Amino acid sequence: MKKGKIAMTITIGIACFALVTVMMMQFKVVNETDITAIEEMQESELKTELANWKSRYEEIDAQYQEVTQRIEEYKNDEESNSEASQLVQEELEQTNTLLGLTDVHGEGIVITLKSGENTAAISADDLLIIVNALKFAGAEAISINDQRIINTTDIVYITSGDFIKVNGQRILEPYVIKVIGNQSHMESAVTGTGGKVDELQALDHTVTIEKDNDITIGKYDGEIETRYIE
Amino acid sequence: MIFIAILIGCILGAILGLNAPMISYTYSSYLAIAIIAALDSVFGGIASIIKKNFDLKIFISGFFGNAILAILLTILGQKLNVDIYLAAIVVFVWRMFMNLGTIRRYYVEKWSDMIKEKATAKKAKENTDKEKSEKA
Repeated sequence: MKKGKIAMTITIGIACFALVTVMMMQFKVVNETDITAIEEMQESELKTELANWKSRYEEIDAQYQEVTQRIEEYKNDEESNSEASQLVQEELEQTNTLLGLTDVHGEGIVITLKSGENTAAISADDLLIIVNALKFAGAEAISINDQRIINTTDIVYITSGDFIKVNGQRILEPYVIKVIGNQSHMESAVTGTGGKVDELQALDHTVTIEKDNDITIGKYDGEIETRYIE
Repeated sequence: MIFIAILIGCILGAILGLNAPMISYTYSSYLAIAIIAALDSVFGGIASIIKKNFDLKIFISGFFGNAILAILLTILGQKLNVDIYLAAIVVFVWRMFMNLGTIRRYYVEKWSDMIKEKATAKKAKENTDKEKSEKA
């Protein structure tokens, strides 16, 4: 009984000791940090912050309303402008087509030229004359060996390598000229008396003309640069 | 005997606590709840001593177990964004008042018994004095 009582007393004493130690530590912390001051400060800070944010929110909301209104206006404008823009778009497409920047297809003819064995090879001039004749007859799109003929296209003979360059690209025989346009006009432009095809055939070159109701001509795959046009 | 132990414990604890290094403010909330739990355990211990059903094992396990559990609950509450430590404080303080009530009742009764005994003793003495005087 006595032993139990002593143990109990000591235990309670140690418990009190631990408790008060921790309590004192806590008191010190609380004193040093001054919790209430921190809390008050934080609260007031938060309050001002909140007020700031609120006013800012209102400002931004007003801005947002304004912008939405403007967007609405623009939308209305756009609707009235859509017809015009569609026209512009169509025009742009047409221009691109004419410039040769789009793939095109339609009825036309395919002229295949192959030099005869015993005569001088087909020259760049011959090709030029044919292209010119086709253009004169109203060709809408022309390509030689898949090189689209556009307004800046060059057809030149390179003496050193004995080959022809179109659009700066080397092309080899047989030369396949694809033309989109009125078939009979195209054909008559290069055949008959004075027609280049007949002339070449007379010179023992192999030239065939095929009519096709759906020729596809690829777009010009280079870039059109203007350096001096202002 | 018990009060001397408590007093010595408190004084030594205060000295050590005042000289202990500072703990970070972040942990002070956990420490606070642990203090409340330990305080509750100490009052519970005193109350059980008075009721004469003090058990050393229960006291020690309660002292540390309650404090640790309270800290863990507080941490959990912070993680869940629920103020669980409020519930712990309510429970501990409520029990503290119960235990304090037990202690208070014990001492009040002891005191009133003492007064009553004194009064009866006085009466008895007066009676004996009276008898003596009557005899004389």
